[in-house]
Amino acid sequence: MEKPEQLIVDGKRLDGRAPEELRPIKIVAGALGRADGSAYIEMGNNKVIAAVYGPREMHPRHEAQPDFAVLRCRYTMAPFSVEERKRPGPDRRSIEISKVIREALQPALFLELYPRAVIDVFIEVLQADAGTRTAGINAAAVALADAGIPMRDLVSAVAVGKVDNTIVIDLMKAEDQWGTTDMPVAMMPRKKAITLLQMDGHFTEEEFKRALDLAMRGCEQIYEAQRRALKEKYAVGGTE
Amino acid sequence: MIMVENRELVVPGQQLAEGDYLVSDGVFREGKRIFSTVVGLVDIKGRRIRVIPLQGPYVPKEGDLVIGVIVDVHPLGWIVDINSPYLANLLVQDYLQRKVTPGRENLKRFLQVKDVVVLRVKRVDEKKQVLLEGGKPGLGKLKGGKLVEISPMKIPRVLGKKGSMLSVLQKSGRCRLLVANNGRIMIWGSDGDVARVTDALKKIEREAHTTGLTDRIKLMLEETKEVN
Repeated sequence: MEKPEQLIVDGKRLDGRAPEELRPIKIVAGALGRADGSAYIEMGNNKVIAAVYGPREMHPRHEAQPDFAVLRCRYTMAPFSVEERKRPGPDRRSIEISKVIREALQPALFLELYPRAVIDVFIEVLQADAGTRTAGINAAAVALADAGIPMRDLVSAVAVGKVDNTIVIDLMKAEDQWGTTDMPVAMMPRKKAITLLQMDGHFTEEEFKRALDLAMRGCEQIYEAQRRALKEKYAVGGTE
Repeated sequence: MIMVENRELVVPGQQLAEGDYLVSDGVFREGKRIFSTVVGLVDIKGRRIRVIPLQGPYVPKEGDLVIGVIVDVHPLGWIVDINSPYLANLLVQDYLQRKVTPGRENLKRFLQVKDVVVLRVKRVDEKKQVLLEGGKPGLGKLKGGKLVEISPMKIPRVLGKKGSMLSVLQKSGRCRLLVANNGRIMIWGSDGDVARVTDALKKIEREAHTTGLTDRIKLMLEETKEVN
């Protein structure tokens, strides 16, 4: 794809969205049969699946903690998830993302209820279009709730950034590539407690405040979608 | 002030009430506000609020009846898988209910790896180390039957109010059932009947949060009764 001359034309973005508009979201709770909890999410062209196993016995044993459960996260991208084939398996980037996702989810969990155990979270990106770590966090939060693991709150995440000098939310590939700033934010919306904040590029102090405010409003919308997905899973029963 | 209806489906982080209430399982308190920690159904009894989870692991509690599978034998007893994040320990003296000199008995005479046993949870400590006991009426090694595993959170539904669901399963299903707290159910009966009851159990697991389930299960079992 060539760099377009303008990323924002007449206040509309390349895909026709307004600057403060999210991409369409679809979340399915319990998408996998064999996992203890799972979720599938589509955020625009991102397609991500999350699976949760546990709490279960920690292997290797010596890594278990005597007074709380350990949370393990593994974020990976499928070889076909991007334009150029990605070599499968963890690389520098996905190891880092696994770490920040783990730290974004951890504050929401009551890990002290399951000493010596481990909770495994697997996040598999099937199709990527910028913002896979935030989509992964959104899916993982739903999957954890679906597994019945006690949580203080769900975790919602969205990226904000600066494109053509405009603050935008939920960047897509072209904006991520040619925009000036990208800032993924994850939080527990109920208390507005931020659990992940990264930034690539520059914001002035005033821009940062506006961007963070926009991210918080975006997270509220995603939070609603997550809650709806969890409720929908059980709303259908009673018919067969 | 209560903000939800009784039996309402709630999700983690959802506020349930504000004020002076007693918190029980599935909820937590922050200041005066009370929130749910799991996906489940609200259960309000007087000033006590809890959320009955729809999904989740089995966490052993003292006094629970469990169906375990022996996974290892060691000089002092057995290691038992109880369908929980934690393996449990069964000591010889707790299984035989008599004093035992270590090393004098050949434990494989009593229980071997892969044996299925009904046991009671004797003690759970703060590190979730579990001690089991056997050798009392209703406890011991199981023979024959089919072992079915469902989500441990749905076990109360398999029993029903005052055991109503269980009696439907046994009568209309023509099987004998042993239901344990850890989500394992042993069924004894003819092959056809066992298959019917297994289907009914899977249906209960799927539809545990709906109303009028006992009647639907009864109907389902009565309808298929003649075929077998």
